[in-house]
Amino acid sequence: MFAAALSFFPACAAHAAEEVPRKAQACIVCHGADGNSADLAVPSLAGQPAQFISMQLFLFRQGDRKDPQMSPMAVSLSNADMNELAAYFARQRSAAPSHKTAPENAAAGRRLAEQYHCVQCHGPALLGLQHIPRLAGQQFAYLKTQLGGFKAGTRADMDGNMTSAAQLLSEKDIEILADYLSGLTAPRD
Amino acid sequence: MYPRNPLTVAFPAFLAAFATAAFAQQPPAAPPSWQQGRSGEQASSPLHPFAIEVTGKAAKLLPVDKLKVPAGFKVEVWVDGVPGARSMALGDKGTVFVGTRQLKDVYAVVDRGGKREVKTLLKGLESPNGIVFSKGTLYVAERHRITRYDGIEGQLDNPPQAKVVIDGLDPQQQPGHFWKFLALGPDGKLYYNVGAPGNIVMPGYFQATISRVDPKTGITETYVQGVRNSVGFDWHPKTKELWFTNHARDWLSDDLPNDTLHRVAKKGDHFGYPFCHQGDTLDPEFGKNRSCKEFTPPALKLGAHVAPIGMRFYTGKMFPAEYQNNIFIAFRGSWNRTVKQGYNVTRVSFDANGKPKMEPFLTGFLQDEKADPPMWGRPADVMVMRDGSLLVSDDHNGIIYRVSYGK
Repeated sequence: MFAAALSFFPACAAHAAEEVPRKAQACIVCHGADGNSADLAVPSLAGQPAQFISMQLFLFRQGDRKDPQMSPMAVSLSNADMNELAAYFARQRSAAPSHKTAPENAAAGRRLAEQYHCVQCHGPALLGLQHIPRLAGQQFAYLKTQLGGFKAGTRADMDGNMTSAAQLLSEKDIEILADYLSGLTAPRD
Repeated sequence: MYPRNPLTVAFPAFLAAFATAAFAQQPPAAPPSWQQGRSGEQASSPLHPFAIEVTGKAAKLLPVDKLKVPAGFKVEVWVDGVPGARSMALGDKGTVFVGTRQLKDVYAVVDRGGKREVKTLLKGLESPNGIVFSKGTLYVAERHRITRYDGIEGQLDNPPQAKVVIDGLDPQQQPGHFWKFLALGPDGKLYYNVGAPGNIVMPGYFQATISRVDPKTGITETYVQGVRNSVGFDWHPKTKELWFTNHARDWLSDDLPNDTLHRVAKKGDHFGYPFCHQGDTLDPEFGKNRSCKEFTPPALKLGAHVAPIGMRFYTGKMFPAEYQNNIFIAFRGSWNRTVKQGYNVTRVSFDANGKPKMEPFLTGFLQDEKADPPMWGRPADVMVMRDGSLLVSDDHNGIIYRVSYGK
């Protein structure tokens, strides 16, 4: 399966800054060889906090978070596998986002991120820390889906904080926030 | 039912509340319980509880060489790969049983001549934080029930079905402190906490208590009250009085109120929550028109937000004589404080008049008191082994350390 997966994107592996570990071969098919996803609906993992990645894999394995692609992927991973994958993707540099924020949403998005206290947990530059994900430069469609899921109460939540926060968001807020966050280039890139 | 996710930093039951009320037109936007009692100005506070490493962390990746103990003592990693390790209990045949709060597992660690094997003994439980071993039986306290597993040490690879000692301990799926510590009293009864259903709220009749159940009859009773949340207690080896640690409220200030250590003189004692904290500080809201004089003060103030969890009297033969009947307390460490403190195992000793004083015993988990996160590990429970050494669990990494003396 790993070989088959690789053959779809033979070029990707060559672009990785370090050799892709065997365990990560299945991940890179969708998430990109260096963890920078090219699919709007698939999150980038590059530069995410390791604890965030391992916790999400754990949630998929435990069945608290569900996804048709990810749930079967996670089911056979051990804790050690999850830690190794988390460490690998956390080490990768996040690429400059391909998404371009609409000019009118740059200031409006920042305002919403502060108004709804996104910056309080995800950090002032929205780079994430510990178990809290990096949002800067994340895929647009993915961000929208997650925020919509939190608002609907269907996305696994650690302690209710995101579900609670998302209740306040209108559909338009979600659109603006996702547009803003997706186009954000982090200072460290 | 409602979505159950034990993987919370603090209080997952918000999800339950949310789902229950989801039939209403407007779903409530209730924040997680750890934010309850936060003032308007504190809404943009960056302080937050720290999530555990749910997949555990290998000891070789951690600065365990930074751990410090007093001269003559030695600290080492006893076992890793025990994600979420909290309360510990020792079996007759030497099995170390380990409960978890934020996961669903109970482990059995088997020592075979220095090589230790971690077995996931029980799975799919509801915050199995409290465990006790007695006469061949393992008792487990989940959020809603206490169960027993008889003859467990002979069946570690094929544990028996749980027998219920008591069910219905959490009829309302309370938010806040729903996980339970469990200990066996000298009277043969099982003692457990029922925490306050929030940071600073008026508890219900059986909440904010330490309660007990007679395992023979299943009858429960409130033992002491006004206890916000105690997740560690033990009986004095000589006086047989119950001593317990207590977590004080958050969001009042960096330095108030103190977390506390208490001695129970008699059944029915009230220790103040939510009216009076640390024996001398009225709550700004619930303390109006009350006096601290009506409540039993603590035996010792431990510091604000230090988060005292497991505590045991030292009864082993390995440590120097002056450690006999001292108390070791695992301070899991502060989150609701600008400059972090705790993150150690503290020793409480007593002077000739029985007055307690404390000093740090095992330190080095705290790396940078102003960083986020400030620590690389968090002590959660302590347990005296038969050889007199002290085991310390670290639920952040899923590691158990061993402190020994003179070897």
